[in-house]
Amino acid sequence: MILLECDKTFRELIDRSFVEDVSEGERQVMHDHLRGCDGCQRYLELTARTIRGLREFSFPSDADSTAQVSEMLADHAGTMREHDRAIQHLQFKTWAAFAVALSMSFAGSALVYQLTKRLAVPMHFDTAQVQAGVLIFWLLPSFCSALCVLAAPRENRGIA
Amino acid sequence: MQLVADLVERCQHRLVRYLLYLTGRRDYAEDLAQETWIRVLQRGSQYNGRQRFDPWLFAVARNLAIDYLRKKRKAVQTASLPDDHDEILLVSSSGPSPFEAAARSEDAMRLAGQLQILSPLYREALLLRFQEELSLAEIAQVLGAPVTTVTSRIYRGLAALRSAFEEGGDSPGV
Repeated sequence: MILLECDKTFRELIDRSFVEDVSEGERQVMHDHLRGCDGCQRYLELTARTIRGLREFSFPSDADSTAQVSEMLADHAGTMREHDRAIQHLQFKTWAAFAVALSMSFAGSALVYQLTKRLAVPMHFDTAQVQAGVLIFWLLPSFCSALCVLAAPRENRGIA
Repeated sequence: MQLVADLVERCQHRLVRYLLYLTGRRDYAEDLAQETWIRVLQRGSQYNGRQRFDPWLFAVARNLAIDYLRKKRKAVQTASLPDDHDEILLVSSSGPSPFEAAARSEDAMRLAGQLQILSPLYREALLLRFQEELSLAEIAQVLGAPVTTVTSRIYRGLAALRSAFEEGGDSPGV
């Protein structure tokens, strides 16, 4: 077959001239070669024809489709905005609930400490023991409960 | 929102055309185009504004198309799926192929037959280069492949398509 007879390098150069940038020098070499080589000339024509053929596919433009997409996106953008607002609102409620729970935890602990201190005197507990008891049995559990508000899944945060 | 509307106006036709080449079906292409625009709306912040928008859009569309076709294939429980994403892309329609339907010349019609049987990898690279006029670097971005791989696919695809004219033995219509 005539197309296989010539130097592969020139065929690659012809391909590259259609796909990539080739230097002016390479282009000159290619043209000089093409003047004396029917096989490469034919190769060049076939390549050009193939690429031209690829550019001769055309789809009718569908204005309805564009309008539909624009309309759908406008709706979707509205939904996204509402969703974002709902998320922000939920986040605010969650942090508010956490703040309330945390305040209650500390305030409750202070109250329990004062009460326990009074009750502990007749039982001969010293202050350190009372503090440790309040810390372990009241402050830490209530603090963990407050943290649970943040850790709970969004849909279950009905506290605030 | 106005920016997205302008982009839809500018790119919708090309997006549907690209998806049609990938999926081979107009209904799939239009569904996927809608999905793509929703994804653009949701993840527009990931777009690097210093680069052209089209390759990024095509890359988003391509990933969605691969997932979509994979799900479709699983749904009908056809042959086991290859691991390579690119092998999913397939023109699979019982009617005329999108290439036959879109061919506007005798040469294009002849190429349509070859494109139908060409490896999807080569076909996609060729169409992105010569239909969508993307640069090699942009095609590499869309396909997530190195530029050398892209050029190699284009050359191999060109060689396969050229045979449509070589085998016919007719004179070039230049």
